[in-house]
Amino acid sequence: MKKSMVCMVFVVLLIFIGSAGFVAAETLKIGVVGPRTGTAAATGKSFTEGIKLATDYVNAHGGVLGKKMEVVFEDTAGSPDKAASGFERLVTRDNVVMVLGESHSSAALAEIEVANRLKIPFIVAEAWADPITAKNYKFVFRAGPSNSGVVNETIAKWVIHEGFKKAYIVAENTDWGLGIGKLCEKALNAAGIANKTVVTERKGQDHYTELAKIKAFNPDVILAFVYGTGLHYFVAQAGEVHLTPKAIILDGAGPPSLWPDFWNNVGDYGNLECLVSSMHKDVELTKLATLFRKNYEKEFGKAPTDYKSRSIFDVVLIAADAINRAGTTDANALVDALEKTSLTVTRGQVAFGTTKGGPEYHQWMPPMLVIQWQDKNQIVLYPPAGATGSLKHK
Amino acid sequence: MKNTKVILACIIVGLFGILPLGLNVYQQHVMIVCLFYVMMSASWNLLAGYTGQVSFAHAAFAGIGAYTSGILAVKAGLSPWLGIPLGVLFAAVIGFGVGLLCLKMGGIYLSLTTLGVSEIFHIIINNEYEITRGTMGLQVPGLLVEYSKTGYFYIMLVTAIVSLLVIYWMIHSNIGLNFRAVQNDEKAAASLGVDVIRIRVLAFTVSSALAGLAGGVYGHYLLLITPEIPSLDQQFLVLSMTIIGGMGSFIGPIIGAFTLEILSEYIRGYGEYHVLVFGLIALSMARFAPNGVVGLVQAGWAKRSTS
Repeated sequence: MKKSMVCMVFVVLLIFIGSAGFVAAETLKIGVVGPRTGTAAATGKSFTEGIKLATDYVNAHGGVLGKKMEVVFEDTAGSPDKAASGFERLVTRDNVVMVLGESHSSAALAEIEVANRLKIPFIVAEAWADPITAKNYKFVFRAGPSNSGVVNETIAKWVIHEGFKKAYIVAENTDWGLGIGKLCEKALNAAGIANKTVVTERKGQDHYTELAKIKAFNPDVILAFVYGTGLHYFVAQAGEVHLTPKAIILDGAGPPSLWPDFWNNVGDYGNLECLVSSMHKDVELTKLATLFRKNYEKEFGKAPTDYKSRSIFDVVLIAADAINRAGTTDANALVDALEKTSLTVTRGQVAFGTTKGGPEYHQWMPPMLVIQWQDKNQIVLYPPAGATGSLKHK
Repeated sequence: MKNTKVILACIIVGLFGILPLGLNVYQQHVMIVCLFYVMMSASWNLLAGYTGQVSFAHAAFAGIGAYTSGILAVKAGLSPWLGIPLGVLFAAVIGFGVGLLCLKMGGIYLSLTTLGVSEIFHIIINNEYEITRGTMGLQVPGLLVEYSKTGYFYIMLVTAIVSLLVIYWMIHSNIGLNFRAVQNDEKAAASLGVDVIRIRVLAFTVSSALAGLAGGVYGHYLLLITPEIPSLDQQFLVLSMTIIGGMGSFIGPIIGAFTLEILSEYIRGYGEYHVLVFGLIALSMARFAPNGVVGLVQAGWAKRSTS
């Protein structure tokens, strides 16, 4: 009996060791991390769509280092531990030369530690917390919004532009939510706008207690930093307690207000809600943006809505460009190439900051828009140069 | 016979000792995770398999060990080498308390109470995010100055061996006999002079301490402690490993831990569905092979011997 037990252990071990043989790569692998499950699984779907268009585009233009580019997607479920182990798996099991993506700051903060330890270039697409680049890690880049960039360049300026006098900040208890909430407080205080903050549970579904506090403050605008379907609950419940439409809600992330189930979940309470986005069909900054929209419509038979599909598209192109310019997959050479990036993507001309000391290091901040839902149409409110309409109040 | 067992154990330990030489970094990581689950399943088996106390708070005790050491390292700058023993001690004290609380309980009542304890602990971690960082995860220092997968493999291997030796010693001593007596019939055991209260609380305390040890070492290996360690998902995974391997046997949880962790690496691509697969396997085993893989092998062996 004992012998059979020992044999079983050996068999399991041998299967494990034997099956992990390495097959010579005929493609060049890039890793992508992002949530495919959990409350923000829709972001994973948007990433998948963007990756499909990007790999088609890159491979149609010669691929990378003469090989086809292949993307391996690792689900992080928005959870830091899954993110860190998923990142490590991409590097040690799949032998990817670079990792891209992520949409949750807490997950990204866990991943940058792995990237730094394994010395593998990592380009963050849509995780906004400042410390991601403020840690000044050599192998970490971000080609997407940062909390300080979004607050100082877009949200605070929009609040001032619209003449709001009282604001309520609702921040989820994540690195993104708490970080952007603090930055908003600072910017609003500097502008002399009365404000209060409440921290809410990331996965919370019942916001009535917070809403009672907010209603008592009687704000003009609510800056909601709640990601995932939690935002839908918040918007619907704010409507139920008649907080909106007197007060305007700004979805400080954007995508949850663009997901297909948004209108099913919030009903008419979604009307006049505002959101932050980097994509609108009437504000296309480059020819590539127009090409992306056309290819997206052709491939998926619908118009692109969640801007994160376009963000990951850009990041894949940035990675492919850096690999081709480096002429090698050596990590140090890739970092050098990334630092010298000058590439036009859908959101403008990419150039990473190289000055150490703050979150600007290895950071490229794309321009952001404030959009309002008006009778299920997206109207650009801010910046004024790109506005397609003005704020509607009831 | 005893010598054969010792020789076999030495051969297995020796093989594990040279295992990192034949494994790449990823495979070493999988082995480290396997060893963590070996500790978790074996210590849960000590409680559930040998005294019949089905606790759903076992992952929570791993969390207590991990968070105690992690918070002490981050907030007080204490070395993890000191923090882990303190985490083990704290897990043991809480385990002792829960053991006392559940003294008069059995079956479903005990399970529900421990489920409540687990959930309370989870809520505290999530809500006290200023201390624990909640779902954001607490980044903690490692056990080694220079990160080394091989180094962590040996640390986890030694910890697992120590845990297994403690469990082996307990179940093969008078304590183990008392455990089984309490599991089979508490009243009969008491009438024969077994101190049922002491035995039940002892099992809870030792099992919790070992879970705390596993959680502490694992957290400092990952360099990140999140509410995933004390989650119910983790608890049910440990439960599945023990049942599939063979509850109430020494080697069952070891086999279950290796089998399911390696299997989970293969079916990870199916996302959350891999937990469903484990559930289905556990259900099938509970229905058709209640004694797990060990029971199946034993039955097969007995059949061969008689024929």
